[in-house]
Amino acid sequence: MNSKAYRLVILSLYVAMALILSYIESLIPLPLPIPGAKIGLPNIITLVSLLTLGWPLTLLVVIARIFLAGFLFGGGFSIVYSLGGGLLSLLVMSLLLHFFKDKISIILISVFGAITHNLGQVIVAAIVVQTTSLLLYFLFLMLLAIPTGLFIGITARELMRLLGKTTIFAKLNLPQKK
Amino acid sequence: MKKNEIMIIIGLLAVSLIGIAAFYLIKASDEPLSVRVTRQGEIVAVFPLSKDHTETFTDAAGSNTLEISGGTAKMVEADCPDHICVKTYPISSPGETIVCLPHKLVVEVITGES
Repeated sequence: MNSKAYRLVILSLYVAMALILSYIESLIPLPLPIPGAKIGLPNIITLVSLLTLGWPLTLLVVIARIFLAGFLFGGGFSIVYSLGGGLLSLLVMSLLLHFFKDKISIILISVFGAITHNLGQVIVAAIVVQTTSLLLYFLFLMLLAIPTGLFIGITARELMRLLGKTTIFAKLNLPQKK
Repeated sequence: MKKNEIMIIIGLLAVSLIGIAAFYLIKASDEPLSVRVTRQGEIVAVFPLSKDHTETFTDAAGSNTLEISGGTAKMVEADCPDHICVKTYPISSPGETIVCLPHKLVVEVITGES
Protein backbone atom coordinates (compact mmCIF):
# COMPACT_ATOMS: atom_id res chain seq x y z
CA MET A 1 0.00 0.00 0.00
CA ASN A 2 1.45 3.37 -0.89
CA SER A 3 1.70 6.06 1.73
CA LYS A 4 -1.11 8.20 0.29
CA ALA A 5 -3.62 5.37 0.55
CA TYR A 6 -2.28 4.54 3.99
CA ARG A 7 -2.87 8.11 5.13
CA LEU A 8 -6.43 7.91 3.83
CA VAL A 9 -7.04 4.74 5.85
CA ILE A 10 -5.69 6.34 9.03
CA LEU A 11 -7.73 9.49 8.33
CA SER A 12 -10.95 7.47 7.96
CA LEU A 13 -10.16 5.56 11.15
CA TYR A 14 -9.77 8.84 13.04
CA VAL A 15 -13.10 10.16 11.73
CA ALA A 16 -14.84 6.91 12.70
CA MET A 17 -13.30 6.88 16.18
CA ALA A 18 -14.04 10.56 16.80
CA LEU A 19 -17.64 9.96 15.73
CA ILE A 20 -18.03 7.06 18.16
CA LEU A 21 -16.54 9.17 20.95
CA SER A 22 -19.04 11.95 20.12
CA TYR A 23 -21.81 9.41 20.43
CA ILE A 24 -20.54 8.04 23.74
CA GLU A 25 -20.24 11.60 24.99
CA SER A 26 -23.85 12.36 24.05
CA LEU A 27 -24.90 9.38 26.18
CA ILE A 28 -23.17 10.61 29.34
CA PRO A 29 -24.27 14.16 30.07
CA LEU A 30 -22.31 15.74 32.90
CA PRO A 31 -24.40 16.05 36.05
CA LEU A 32 -23.83 19.79 36.10
CA PRO A 33 -26.37 22.55 35.53
CA ILE A 34 -23.97 24.34 33.18
CA PRO A 35 -25.39 24.06 29.67
CA GLY A 36 -23.00 23.01 26.94
CA ALA A 37 -20.46 21.50 29.35
CA LYS A 38 -18.91 18.37 27.87
CA ILE A 39 -15.93 16.11 28.58
CA GLY A 40 -14.55 16.59 25.08
CA LEU A 41 -13.81 12.93 24.30
CA PRO A 42 -13.45 13.50 20.51
CA ASN A 43 -10.55 15.82 21.30
CA ILE A 44 -8.48 12.70 22.11
CA ILE A 45 -8.61 11.89 18.40
CA THR A 46 -8.01 15.50 17.36
CA LEU A 47 -4.82 15.51 19.45
CA VAL A 48 -3.58 12.16 18.14
CA SER A 49 -4.38 13.21 14.58
CA LEU A 50 -2.61 16.54 15.03
CA LEU A 51 0.51 14.74 16.20
CA THR A 52 0.48 12.09 13.48
CA LEU A 53 -1.11 13.65 10.38
CA GLY A 54 -0.50 17.36 10.92
CA TRP A 55 -3.05 20.17 10.94
CA PRO A 56 -4.36 20.18 7.34
CA LEU A 57 -5.63 16.60 7.53
CA THR A 58 -6.77 17.08 11.14
CA LEU A 59 -8.91 19.97 9.92
CA LEU A 60 -10.67 17.44 7.69
CA VAL A 61 -11.10 15.02 10.62
CA VAL A 62 -12.61 17.75 12.81
CA ILE A 63 -14.98 19.09 10.15
CA ALA A 64 -16.14 15.61 9.11
CA ARG A 65 -16.72 14.59 12.73
CA ILE A 66 -18.68 17.75 13.58
CA PHE A 67 -20.97 17.51 10.55
CA LEU A 68 -21.57 13.77 10.91
CA ALA A 69 -22.14 13.96 14.66
CA GLY A 70 -24.36 17.02 14.21
CA PHE A 71 -26.60 15.28 11.69
CA LEU A 72 -26.66 11.96 13.54
CA PHE A 73 -27.16 12.86 17.18
CA GLY A 74 -27.13 16.61 17.65
CA GLY A 75 -29.69 19.21 16.80
CA GLY A 76 -29.04 21.09 13.57
CA PHE A 77 -27.99 24.02 15.72
CA SER A 78 -25.22 22.17 17.46
CA ILE A 79 -23.17 22.08 14.24
CA VAL A 80 -22.66 25.85 14.18
CA TYR A 81 -21.48 25.99 17.80
CA SER A 82 -19.34 22.89 17.49
CA LEU A 83 -17.68 24.40 14.41
CA GLY A 84 -16.93 27.63 16.28
CA GLY A 85 -15.39 25.71 19.16
CA GLY A 86 -13.74 22.97 17.12
CA LEU A 87 -12.04 25.29 14.65
CA LEU A 88 -10.78 27.82 17.21
CA SER A 89 -9.50 25.02 19.41
CA LEU A 90 -7.74 23.33 16.48
CA LEU A 91 -6.18 26.64 15.45
CA VAL A 92 -4.81 27.32 18.93
CA MET A 93 -3.56 23.76 19.41
CA SER A 94 -1.85 23.81 15.99
CA LEU A 95 -0.15 27.12 16.74
CA LEU A 96 1.04 25.90 20.16
CA LEU A 97 2.40 22.75 18.58
CA HIS A 98 4.09 24.73 15.83
CA PHE A 99 5.80 27.30 18.02
CA PHE A 100 6.56 25.24 21.15
CA LYS A 101 6.97 21.84 19.56
CA ASP A 102 9.46 20.35 21.98
CA LYS A 103 8.73 22.54 24.96
CA ILE A 104 5.05 21.76 25.46
CA SER A 105 3.36 18.53 26.54
CA ILE A 106 0.25 17.04 24.96
CA ILE A 107 -1.51 17.62 28.27
CA LEU A 108 -1.02 21.38 28.27
CA ILE A 109 -2.00 21.58 24.59
CA SER A 110 -5.16 19.67 25.50
CA VAL A 111 -6.02 22.09 28.33
CA PHE A 112 -5.61 25.09 26.02
CA GLY A 113 -7.65 23.25 23.38
CA ALA A 114 -10.47 22.63 25.85
CA ILE A 115 -10.56 26.26 27.01
CA THR A 116 -10.50 27.68 23.49
CA HIS A 117 -13.15 25.19 22.39
CA ASN A 118 -15.47 26.75 24.97
CA LEU A 119 -14.35 30.24 23.98
CA GLY A 120 -15.22 29.55 20.34
CA GLN A 121 -18.65 28.24 21.26
CA VAL A 122 -19.39 31.19 23.54
CA ILE A 123 -18.29 33.65 20.83
CA VAL A 124 -20.62 32.02 18.28
CA ALA A 125 -23.46 31.98 20.84
CA ALA A 126 -22.86 35.65 21.72
CA ILE A 127 -23.05 36.57 18.02
CA VAL A 128 -26.20 34.51 17.42
CA VAL A 129 -28.18 35.88 20.36
CA GLN A 130 -26.47 39.29 20.13
CA THR A 131 -25.48 39.67 23.73
CA THR A 132 -22.28 40.55 25.52
CA SER A 133 -23.30 39.11 28.85
CA LEU A 134 -21.91 35.59 28.50
CA LEU A 135 -18.59 36.33 30.25
CA LEU A 136 -19.62 34.78 33.56
CA TYR A 137 -20.88 31.73 31.71
CA PHE A 138 -17.55 31.43 29.89
CA LEU A 139 -15.61 31.64 33.18
CA PHE A 140 -17.61 28.69 34.54
CA LEU A 141 -16.93 26.73 31.35
CA MET A 142 -13.23 27.62 31.55
CA LEU A 143 -13.04 26.39 35.15
CA LEU A 144 -14.56 23.10 34.07
CA ALA A 145 -12.40 22.85 30.93
CA ILE A 146 -9.20 22.63 32.98
CA PRO A 147 -9.88 19.24 34.64
CA THR A 148 -11.53 17.81 31.51
CA GLY A 149 -8.64 19.09 29.37
CA LEU A 150 -6.14 17.44 31.75
CA PHE A 151 -8.05 14.16 31.57
CA ILE A 152 -8.25 14.24 27.77
CA GLY A 153 -4.58 15.22 27.49
CA ILE A 154 -3.42 12.36 29.73
CA THR A 155 -5.59 9.92 27.78
CA ALA A 156 -4.20 11.16 24.44
CA ARG A 157 -0.63 10.90 25.73
CA GLU A 158 -1.13 7.31 26.87
CA LEU A 159 -2.84 6.44 23.59
CA MET A 160 0.08 7.90 21.64
CA ARG A 161 2.52 5.91 23.79
CA LEU A 162 0.65 2.65 23.24
CA LEU A 163 0.11 3.22 19.52
CA GLY A 164 3.77 4.18 19.20
CA LYS A 165 4.70 0.63 20.20
CA THR A 166 2.76 -0.75 17.25
CA THR A 167 3.65 -0.34 13.58
CA ILE A 168 0.52 1.69 12.83
CA PHE A 169 2.37 4.98 12.49
CA ALA A 170 5.53 3.53 10.96
CA LYS A 171 4.44 4.27 7.41
CA LEU A 172 3.47 7.85 8.18
CA ASN A 173 7.15 8.83 8.49
CA LEU A 174 6.60 10.53 11.81
CA PRO A 175 9.24 12.73 13.30
CA GLN A 176 10.22 11.06 16.58
CA LYS A 177 8.63 12.96 19.43
CA LYS A 178 8.25 12.03 23.04
CA MET B 1 4.66 17.33 32.32
CA LYS B 2 7.14 19.86 33.63
CA LYS B 3 6.95 22.10 36.64
CA ASN B 4 6.28 25.28 34.65
CA GLU B 5 3.40 23.59 32.85
CA ILE B 6 1.78 22.77 36.19
CA MET B 7 2.26 26.42 37.14
CA ILE B 8 0.50 27.50 33.91
CA ILE B 9 -2.43 25.22 34.71
CA ILE B 10 -2.64 26.52 38.27
CA GLY B 11 -2.51 30.03 36.80
CA LEU B 12 -5.43 29.27 34.46
CA LEU B 13 -7.42 27.84 37.37
CA ALA B 14 -6.71 30.97 39.40
CA VAL B 15 -7.76 33.25 36.52
CA SER B 16 -11.14 31.55 36.16
CA LEU B 17 -11.78 31.35 39.92
CA ILE B 18 -10.77 34.98 40.53
CA GLY B 19 -12.82 36.01 37.51
CA ILE B 20 -15.93 34.29 38.85
CA ALA B 21 -15.39 35.70 42.36
CA ALA B 22 -14.80 39.21 40.98
CA PHE B 23 -17.94 38.95 38.88
CA TYR B 24 -20.11 38.21 41.91
CA LEU B 25 -18.36 40.78 44.14
CA ILE B 26 -18.44 43.68 41.67
CA LYS B 27 -22.02 43.10 40.66
CA ALA B 28 -23.25 42.56 44.23
CA SER B 29 -25.43 45.44 45.39
CA ASP B 30 -28.41 46.22 47.57
CA GLU B 31 -30.41 47.51 44.67
CA PRO B 32 -33.53 45.60 43.70
CA LEU B 33 -32.94 43.04 40.98
CA SER B 34 -34.81 42.57 37.72
CA VAL B 35 -35.02 39.92 35.05
CA ARG B 36 -34.47 41.14 31.51
CA VAL B 37 -35.56 39.09 28.53
CA THR B 38 -33.98 39.92 25.17
CA ARG B 39 -34.43 38.42 21.74
CA GLN B 40 -31.59 39.06 19.26
CA GLY B 41 -30.38 41.97 21.35
CA GLU B 42 -33.78 43.64 21.60
CA ILE B 43 -35.41 43.91 25.00
CA VAL B 44 -38.69 41.99 25.08
CA ALA B 45 -39.64 42.33 28.72
CA VAL B 46 -38.32 43.26 32.19
CA PHE B 47 -39.77 41.83 35.40
CA PRO B 48 -38.88 42.48 39.05
CA LEU B 49 -37.15 39.39 40.49
CA SER B 50 -38.97 39.83 43.79
CA LYS B 51 -42.45 39.21 42.38
CA ASP B 52 -43.57 35.72 41.39
CA HIS B 53 -44.56 35.65 37.76
CA THR B 54 -44.85 33.22 34.85
CA GLU B 55 -44.87 34.23 31.23
CA THR B 56 -44.58 32.48 27.89
CA PHE B 57 -42.62 34.07 25.06
CA THR B 58 -43.61 32.97 21.60
CA ASP B 59 -42.36 33.92 18.18
CA ALA B 60 -41.97 32.26 14.80
CA ALA B 61 -39.07 30.12 16.08
CA GLY B 62 -40.97 28.67 19.05
CA SER B 63 -41.91 29.35 22.63
CA ASN B 64 -40.23 29.53 26.04
CA THR B 65 -41.93 29.73 29.42
CA LEU B 66 -40.11 31.72 32.09
CA GLU B 67 -41.01 31.34 35.75
CA ILE B 68 -39.94 33.76 38.45
CA SER B 69 -40.55 32.48 41.95
CA GLY B 70 -38.90 32.94 45.34
CA GLY B 71 -36.27 35.36 43.97
CA THR B 72 -34.99 33.08 41.22
CA ALA B 73 -35.77 32.88 37.51
CA LYS B 74 -35.96 29.63 35.64
CA MET B 75 -36.98 28.47 32.19
CA VAL B 76 -39.62 25.84 32.89
CA GLU B 77 -40.62 24.96 29.38
CA ALA B 78 -39.34 25.29 25.82
CA ASP B 79 -40.19 23.65 22.52
CA CYS B 80 -36.64 23.75 21.16
CA PRO B 81 -34.87 20.47 20.33
CA ASP B 82 -32.06 20.64 22.88
CA HIS B 83 -33.78 21.99 26.03
CA ILE B 84 -30.49 23.45 27.20
CA CYS B 85 -32.22 26.51 28.67
CA VAL B 86 -34.54 24.30 30.73
CA LYS B 87 -31.54 22.41 32.12
CA THR B 88 -29.75 25.63 33.12
CA TYR B 89 -29.62 26.31 36.87
CA PRO B 90 -32.11 28.87 38.21
CA ILE B 91 -30.54 32.34 38.13
CA SER B 92 -30.69 34.91 40.91
CA SER B 93 -27.44 36.97 40.91
CA PRO B 94 -26.71 39.94 38.62
CA GLY B 95 -24.93 38.88 35.46
CA GLU B 96 -26.22 35.32 35.46
CA THR B 97 -27.89 34.29 32.23
CA ILE B 98 -30.10 31.65 30.70
CA VAL B 99 -29.69 31.34 26.95
CA CYS B 100 -31.98 29.64 24.45
CA LEU B 101 -29.83 29.44 21.34
CA PRO B 102 -32.41 28.08 18.87
CA HIS B 103 -34.86 30.85 19.77
CA LYS B 104 -32.14 33.51 20.24
CA LEU B 105 -33.58 34.35 23.63
CA VAL B 106 -31.48 35.59 26.57
CA VAL B 107 -32.74 35.88 30.15
CA GLU B 108 -30.48 37.91 32.37
CA VAL B 109 -30.54 39.16 35.96
CA ILE B 110 -29.79 42.89 36.13
CA THR B 111 -29.61 45.45 38.93
CA GLY B 112 -32.24 48.15 39.16
CA GLU B 113 -35.90 48.23 38.41
CA SER B 114 -36.87 47.92 34.74
